[in-house]
Amino acid sequence: MALPGWMLYLIHTLFPADTRRPTELGADVLIIATGAILFYILIIKGRWRHVWTEWITTVDHKKIAVLYLIGAIAMLFRAGVDALMLRTQLALPHQHLLSALEYDQLFTTHGTIMIFFMAMPFIFALFNAVIPLQIGSRDVAFPRLNAMSFWLFAFGALLLNMSFVVGGSPSAGWTAYPPLSENVFLPGVGQNYYLMSLLIAGIGTTMTGINFVVTILRMRAPGMTLMKLPLFAWSALMTSALIIFAFPPLTVALSMTLIDRLFQSSFFTLGHGGMPMMYVNLFWLFGHPEVYIVVLPAFGIFSEVVATFSSKRLFGYEVMVASLVSIMFLAYGTWVHHFFTMGAGPAVNAFFGLSTMLIAIPTGVKIFNWIFTMWGGRIRMTVAMLYQMAFIPTFVIGGATGIILATVPVDYQFHNTYFLVAHFHNVLIGGTLFGLLSGMYYWWPKMFGMKLDEHQGKWAFWLFFLGFWVTFFPQYLLGLEGMQRRMNTYPFGLGWHLLNVISTIGAFGMGAAFIVLVYNVVWSLRYGERDLTGDAWDGRTLEWAISSPAPEYNFARIPVITDRDPWWAMKESGATLANSLSPADIHAIEMPKNTPVPFLLGASFFLFGFGMVFSWWYVAVLGLLCVIATLIYSGFNYEEHALLTADVIRGTEASLGRLQA
Amino acid sequence: MAEPRTAPEQSAREEGLEFLEPRVHGEGFPMAQVFGYGGSLLLTFGSFFLVTRHLMPPVILLAVILTLAIGQAALQLGVFMHIRESRGPAWQLMPLGLAFFIALGMIGMSIWIMMFKAGVS
Repeated sequence: MALPGWMLYLIHTLFPADTRRPTELGADVLIIATGAILFYILIIKGRWRHVWTEWITTVDHKKIAVLYLIGAIAMLFRAGVDALMLRTQLALPHQHLLSALEYDQLFTTHGTIMIFFMAMPFIFALFNAVIPLQIGSRDVAFPRLNAMSFWLFAFGALLLNMSFVVGGSPSAGWTAYPPLSENVFLPGVGQNYYLMSLLIAGIGTTMTGINFVVTILRMRAPGMTLMKLPLFAWSALMTSALIIFAFPPLTVALSMTLIDRLFQSSFFTLGHGGMPMMYVNLFWLFGHPEVYIVVLPAFGIFSEVVATFSSKRLFGYEVMVASLVSIMFLAYGTWVHHFFTMGAGPAVNAFFGLSTMLIAIPTGVKIFNWIFTMWGGRIRMTVAMLYQMAFIPTFVIGGATGIILATVPVDYQFHNTYFLVAHFHNVLIGGTLFGLLSGMYYWWPKMFGMKLDEHQGKWAFWLFFLGFWVTFFPQYLLGLEGMQRRMNTYPFGLGWHLLNVISTIGAFGMGAAFIVLVYNVVWSLRYGERDLTGDAWDGRTLEWAISSPAPEYNFARIPVITDRDPWWAMKESGATLANSLSPADIHAIEMPKNTPVPFLLGASFFLFGFGMVFSWWYVAVLGLLCVIATLIYSGFNYEEHALLTADVIRGTEASLGRLQA
Repeated sequence: MAEPRTAPEQSAREEGLEFLEPRVHGEGFPMAQVFGYGGSLLLTFGSFFLVTRHLMPPVILLAVILTLAIGQAALQLGVFMHIRESRGPAWQLMPLGLAFFIALGMIGMSIWIMMFKAGVS
């Protein structure tokens, strides 16, 4: 039986040869199974109404935080599985479990997803969950924009993950350097997926950056001057500033590549006067600040965690703020160290080598301040604190190898070897991921109203910490022995064999840690210790002053801040929010209403992106029209607030036992 | 749109949070914004037209499209970036100043880096 022509075209375009390999077919089965389960829960059991009204249309920063967290954990799983497949291939010499193309696709999606769709949403999850509570605000400055940011991230992530089973994955690395990423070398749709998904998610990220700058500058409770701002909020402010100025160069670089690929221009092509190195310059103009975008929040988290679990005021607050600000500025002046080997000349390389080393100074200051905070404190070794303790030596070693790489002549030897791979995993896992996990364990009671089980959490921590070192320490040595980054296999007899075996064992250790972590979360959601006080850890900052999880409006009455650790000061003086609140103090609060606009906007952008990926212009134009229609509808929708009456709030506060009789 | 909002306004004033209250008042048709949007599109398509039609020698062309770009930046700042608005402290000027500082640094250093003129080709 012959199929009609259009059907053959569709099958050929949507499912080319590299989406019909065993791994992809396995993924297809998993996706269909997950879809069936979701269909059963949503449609057959009728939960879709709850999901729609409570989650999909929500503009509440606390719920958006939960959505971000779910997305981040799912993406950690996907990119982690990628990494395990890569390490399995490299465990033994001369292995061909994966073809060269499949290997390229896996390391590309591993890097892209870990940075853009795991680290970034994880950070935004914690920002959303904590920042408004920490600064005594009822929401972020632009709640609807916040929901739009989330849905743009979600649909961007969907687009990138879809490439695996529909149309083919990108395969030019997470940096996607031209000329390799141009049509001549990679003609399929994979690179289009990479470009469109990052462009769409990038819009959301930029909006989040703007949102948090405005929130932190303008929505602080009365009395909270900038020098009374908690350090996590300071780090969020600096991160947001970095996002606002670093994402435009990425958008420009990606758009120009997209125009090259779809409309045959030649910004970065080899011929016709194209300049591929300009892409590299633009990409790292973004890429270096991005490194600080993902690590500064971790610094902020550790500053909160270390003070709480040492039961001490943070040592050297002013210096901590000054180093955050100086890191923010210095982050913009170091990007050439990613491409010293381009050979821009000794003056350029020397300048950027020095500026890179300069960053070690404020970072070192912070490390010493964390240690001095612990000094003489009463330390409680909770899971959050364990990640902090693991972070300090790990990050110091990662930073030291960074200084080695910043030395230009040495970098010419190490460039793109496993030494580099080990270095950036050392700082990204040891810095960012340890920080985010620490923050997750620390703020989990505030987000969900129960603690994550400490005993299971310690198992996950030790597996993670040891797995990390077993994986990446051998990679330093492999780099010194000349093993190149991104090679899909290697021959016998180079002395790389044993080190690679050890590294793969470590990777599976981290995989086991992930399973324990997920078990810990699922177990604790059912049986975990409930947090009834709202102050699970004897905390210091304002978020612990209200109940866990926080009520919809956060603060029944906005507190007046007189101290840098407001909740600690309140506890010391015996005047808590709870016992000072009388029914007469409570007034009606105007809250933003739920809206389907953000979800529809994300879906429209998804349609637009999908059309662009396959160069189906009708689909793309339709998607763009949907975007415009959604924005117009949103703009003329004046019914965006609802009044929460004083009686409702009094009822809620009384049920939490936080109201004077 | 301008329905009474007495309750929350009252509570906000009592707590010294007036600055959080949205200012709701009638606006006319946003002429300035429409003009800014149309003008930006015009300047973009103008420079695209000049480049694709090769109407002038490269050096002059670069100078002209740079002028158009600066004009567009000024237009967008003036119309959309709230540069002239303020009630209370003008918080928006600090990030804008930072943006100028960083953008100039990025552009200046990019020119310096890419001056070696040894593309891969």
